[in-house]
Amino acid sequence: MRIIILGALLMTIASAFVLYSSNYDTRQFELRLADQERAIEKARSDIAVLKAERAHLGRPDRIEPLARELGLGPASERQVAPSAEAALARASGGNASLALKSKGN
Amino acid sequence: MSTAAPDIPPPRRANGPLRTLIATLGVAIAFLAVGAQLIRLALLGQGELSASLNETVAQSFARPDIVDRNGRLLATDVEVYSLFADPARVIDRDEVIEKLAAVFSDLDRAALRKDLSDRNRRFVWLRRGLSPRVAQQVHNLGLPGLDFRRELRRAYPGGRLAGHVIGYVNIDNKGVAGIERYVDEVVGVESVQAATIAERPPVRLSIDIGVQHAVEAELASAVERFEAKGAAAIVLDVTNGEVLASASLPTVDPARPGMSLEPGNLDKISSSTFELGSVFKTLTVAMALDRALVTPETILDVRKQLVSGRFTIKDLHSAGRPLSVAEIFIRSSNVGAAMLALQAGTQNFQQFLGRLSLLDVMKTEAGPVAPPQLPKRWGEIETITIAYGHGIAMAPLQFAAAAASIVNGGQKVSPTFVKRPTGAGQADIPLVSAETSARMRAMMRRNVAEPGGTGKRAEVQGYEVGGKTGTAEMPGPGGYREKAVISSFLAAFPMDEPRYLVFTLLFEPKGNKESGGEVVASRNAAPTTARIVSRIGPLLGMLPKQSASLGGRILAFDAASAAKYEAR
Repeated sequence: MRIIILGALLMTIASAFVLYSSNYDTRQFELRLADQERAIEKARSDIAVLKAERAHLGRPDRIEPLARELGLGPASERQVAPSAEAALARASGGNASLALKSKGN
Repeated sequence: MSTAAPDIPPPRRANGPLRTLIATLGVAIAFLAVGAQLIRLALLGQGELSASLNETVAQSFARPDIVDRNGRLLATDVEVYSLFADPARVIDRDEVIEKLAAVFSDLDRAALRKDLSDRNRRFVWLRRGLSPRVAQQVHNLGLPGLDFRRELRRAYPGGRLAGHVIGYVNIDNKGVAGIERYVDEVVGVESVQAATIAERPPVRLSIDIGVQHAVEAELASAVERFEAKGAAAIVLDVTNGEVLASASLPTVDPARPGMSLEPGNLDKISSSTFELGSVFKTLTVAMALDRALVTPETILDVRKQLVSGRFTIKDLHSAGRPLSVAEIFIRSSNVGAAMLALQAGTQNFQQFLGRLSLLDVMKTEAGPVAPPQLPKRWGEIETITIAYGHGIAMAPLQFAAAAASIVNGGQKVSPTFVKRPTGAGQADIPLVSAETSARMRAMMRRNVAEPGGTGKRAEVQGYEVGGKTGTAEMPGPGGYREKAVISSFLAAFPMDEPRYLVFTLLFEPKGNKESGGEVVASRNAAPTTARIVSRIGPLLGMLPKQSASLGGRILAFDAASAAKYEAR
C-alpha cells in the first residue's frame, strides 16, 4: 500500500516536471512560431513591394526611351522575308548589313 | 480525533489514518496543481492571438492583383503605415500639434486640436497611407498617444497606364470605379483588420500593357501634332471581343481618384457619347448590302440634293456623276448613305441598329457604358442624318463592337476587359451574313489601298489595313460648329482575315501644317491609325507580310509567349 502511494507521489511529481517543461517548451515554440509568422508576413510584404517596384521599373514609358536609344523599334516590313533567297535578292539591291542578318537566321 | 488518541494503546493504528490522510492530501494538492496548470494552458494556450485589438477596428480590404493579359502587373496591394491618436493618452496637445506640423506641412491644426480635445474618443485617424520613411519620422518624435497601424494600400506601378479602365479604390481599399469595382463585386475581396495580403489569384485583364502604351503614346503625339483637345482609341480583338487597349486622353491616375471625376477627364471610350459622323456609314452600307437592296456595284444617282421637310442634304465634294455603292462608301457621300437608309426604310434601319445592340445600354466589366442618345422622334429626317452618323450619339466602345461584327464575318462581338479563357469561344450569333462582311471588308480595304480613298494615309506596309474615315461636326450652342470636329478612323487589319479593330478619335484637331490645313479625318485620324497599327502589329505577334508572300504566314519571332512576363 505504502509503495503504491509512494509510487503515485513520485509519478505525480515526475508528471508535474514533465508538464512544466513541456509547458515551457511550448511557450518557446510559440514564440518562435510567432517570430516565423512575423518573418513570413514581412517577407510577403517585401515581395509585394518588390513586385510593384519591378513592375514600375518595367513600365513601358520607361522602357521605350531606353529601347529607342539602343536603336530598337517595331518590326517593319523590311525586316522579314518569305525566304532566304528573297532576302538575299533584296539585300543585293543595296543593303548589305540586312543580307548578313538574313543569313544568320 | 487525535486528542482522543493517546489513551488508545497501539499508536501505529492511530497514526495510520493520519498518515494516509496527509498522503492523500498531498497527492490531491499535486493533482489540483496539475489540473490548474492544464486549465491555465487550455485558456492561455493561444496567447499570441489574443493581443488586444483596438476598440475601433479599422476595416480594410485585401484585393487580388490586377495583371494584363501577359501577367504583367497593373495593380497590387502594398503595406503602408497609418497614424492614429488615442486622445485619452495624449499628454500635451500643443506639443503633438506643433511637432506633427513639422512633419506634415499641410496639417489642419484647428481640426486636429478639436479631435484631440475629445477625451472620450479613443481612436482618431491622423494620416493614412504613410511611407515607411515618414512613419519613421513621426515615430522619432516620441509622442505618447500616437501609434501606427499597418494597412493595405493599392499601388499602380504602371502609373497612368490604362487609368480609365482600372478605375480606382477608396481610402479603405474598396473598389469604387472601373475594373477595381468589378474586382469587388465579382471576384471578391477579403475584409481584413491588418495588413494581410490577399492570396487570391490575380485578375487577368484582356489589356496588353505594351499595346496600351503604344496607343497612348501615339495618341499623345497626335494630340500634339494636330493640336487636338483630346484623343481616344480602342483596340479590339474582333474574334472574341477582348479589348487589347482602351486609351483616352487626357489620361487619369488611378492613384488619384479625384482626377477621373473632372468632366474633361471622362473616359471618352465608354463614359461619353458622341455623334460619330461618317464612320457610321459602315453600318448603313452594311445594312443595305445585307438586306440585298444593293450590291457594291449598284449605281445610285447622288448628284441631286436630298430634300426632306425643311432640310437639304448635299455632298460637299460632289462627284458630278452617279456613283456605285462602293464609291459612295469610299468617297463618303452623305447623300448616297441617306439614299441607302431611305431605301431600306426607317423601320428596317432601326431594326438593324437594334440587332447590332446599338440602341440598348451596353455593359462591360468596367461598368455600364454611357447609354446611346437616340432621337426622341425617329422620322424620315432622322433616318437620313443617322445614315451618316448625326442625330445619334453613342460611346465609341459600343460602336466599335458593332463595327467588329461587320468585319469579322458577321458574328456578334461583346467587348470584354477580362481575358477570356483560351478556347472559350463565344456563341456564334450571326448579325450579318458572311457575304456582307466580305464585301464590307473589300470596300474598307479599297478605301485605304486606292489612291483616291479617304483612308489612304492609314496604309501600313504589310498589314493590309482597311477602314473608314469620319469627320463629325460637334454640336454647340445653336447648331453644329463647323471648325470643331471629332475626326475618327475605324480600321481593321489584316483585311483578308481581320483579327484586330482599331478605332481612333481625335477631338477638335486644328488644321495646321501637319494636316495640310484641314481638319478632316483623312489628314489626322487616318495617319494616326497607321502609326498605331505599325506599332501594335509586331507587339501582337503579327509580322508585316511581304506583298510577294501573301498567303504564306511567316513568323520570325514569338511575341505571343506570355510566360516571360509572368509576375507570379
